[in-house]
Amino acid sequence: MVRFENVGMRYSSGPEVLRDVTFLLEAGSFTFLTGLSGAGKTTLLKLIYLAEPPSRGLITLFGNDMATARRVDFPAIRRRIGVVFQDFRLLPHLSAFDNVALPLRLAGRHEGEYEHDVEELLSWVGLGDRMNAKPATLSGGEQQRIAIARAVVARPDLLIADEPTGNVDPEIGARLIRLFGELNRLGTTILIATHDRALIESTKAREMRLVDGRLVELRTVRT
Amino acid sequence: MSRRAGRLLPREKGAAPLDIVIGVMAFLAALALGASLVAERASAGWRAGLSDRLTVQILVPSQGDVTASLARETDTALAVLRATQGIAHAAPLSEQEMQNLVEPWLGRGALVAELPLPKLVDATIAPGARIDLVGLAARLKAAAPDAQLDDHGHWIARLKGLADTIVWSAYGILMLIAVATASIVAFATRAGLEAQHEMVQLLHQMGAHAGFIARAFERHYALAALGASAAGAAVAALLFLAAGGLEFAGVEAVPFLPPIALKLSEAALLAAVPAIATLIAWATARLSVLAAVREIY
Repeated sequence: MVRFENVGMRYSSGPEVLRDVTFLLEAGSFTFLTGLSGAGKTTLLKLIYLAEPPSRGLITLFGNDMATARRVDFPAIRRRIGVVFQDFRLLPHLSAFDNVALPLRLAGRHEGEYEHDVEELLSWVGLGDRMNAKPATLSGGEQQRIAIARAVVARPDLLIADEPTGNVDPEIGARLIRLFGELNRLGTTILIATHDRALIESTKAREMRLVDGRLVELRTVRT
Repeated sequence: MSRRAGRLLPREKGAAPLDIVIGVMAFLAALALGASLVAERASAGWRAGLSDRLTVQILVPSQGDVTASLARETDTALAVLRATQGIAHAAPLSEQEMQNLVEPWLGRGALVAELPLPKLVDATIAPGARIDLVGLAARLKAAAPDAQLDDHGHWIARLKGLADTIVWSAYGILMLIAVATASIVAFATRAGLEAQHEMVQLLHQMGAHAGFIARAFERHYALAALGASAAGAAVAALLFLAAGGLEFAGVEAVPFLPPIALKLSEAALLAAVPAIATLIAWATARLSVLAAVREIY
């Protein structure tokens, strides 16, 4: 699903943020990415969701060697990935419904086809009564749930989440983890960057830790 | 519950200056286009009015009995003209018609009436007839030494030259306005992209094709250009129609020049201005966005 081989990353002529990162995310796996602030978690996620090219090394996504893949194929690859950004990145002029429906619009689906699914998902994350609200009128936790709903609505093959439970109370956090678990059971590969030890301990998932730009395997999948 | 998908690109606050500039550009373009239509129509009218006419001018002799000489040579010239094959009609202008001709320059009065004016003979060429003008001029000169033949060719050429200059100048102005409009829209699109940078980045990262992002922008700017340019062209069309109203009421815009009013069918041609402005805005916005999105990884 995702393979990194000796990947290094530096921004312009700065120091290397990631060094010789090598790992494999198997299809259908559930993985936590941990590390101190500034360890390179967000950079690693950016390389996976194709926001930046690596400075060196080989990245393979869904069987495509990204160094040789054609640029015209990038959009289709990106649409197979759902991303929960740390800063949510909701479109402020769109309603909660339209923000969540955005990946489906990008996939060329018509509103009549997805209206019910989006409403159901918004209800599931506890925002059934805020569908027409603009992000500015919602709390941080509500915005985060919209960002998560947007990332999962198109049933992506790979879900990447950067601190997805940072702004929600424990009850909603547990509900979101159940959502991720459900998606994982349906076949979605999940990679979550987090500081939340309770969240990590609540599952048996694999944990990869970044230390000064190098990847350390802390825990493999427990059965 | 039925809902409508929200616009991807928010309505821009502070977009009025762009609308105003496009509106003014469309107004100027419509004026230029209208002027070219008026010039073409006037040129065609002048040529049609003069191309089948000949004028023989009997100059005032420098000595002798002026009145008798003019009358004699006029009769001779008339005889020559009427004997020429292809001349449908030939008649001298009356004193009254001569006075009317000089009135715009010299006014009317006893002094003008006493001025020694040449005699003019107006001849009409039969439709389709071809006349040997050089031969006719020679025969006239031989029969009436003070007679001069004028086939208006010189005037027709000059009027056509003037009309062509106006028409081509108008086309040049239209071209400049088109380039300026495209530049303005490209500039506004770049500014819009800058303002919506995060949205463009997000859509791009979510897997939107460049064409999908471009559609949001091109629709936005094409609609803005359509509204603004339609308003500008409508104001210009109203001005031309109002000029028609004034001329109908007897107010002459510029003496000796043709009416500047447009017919309703010609005014409708001004609709091409917003159509082309919209097309320019659409294409410019699309190309600008596609170029900008290509620069993102």
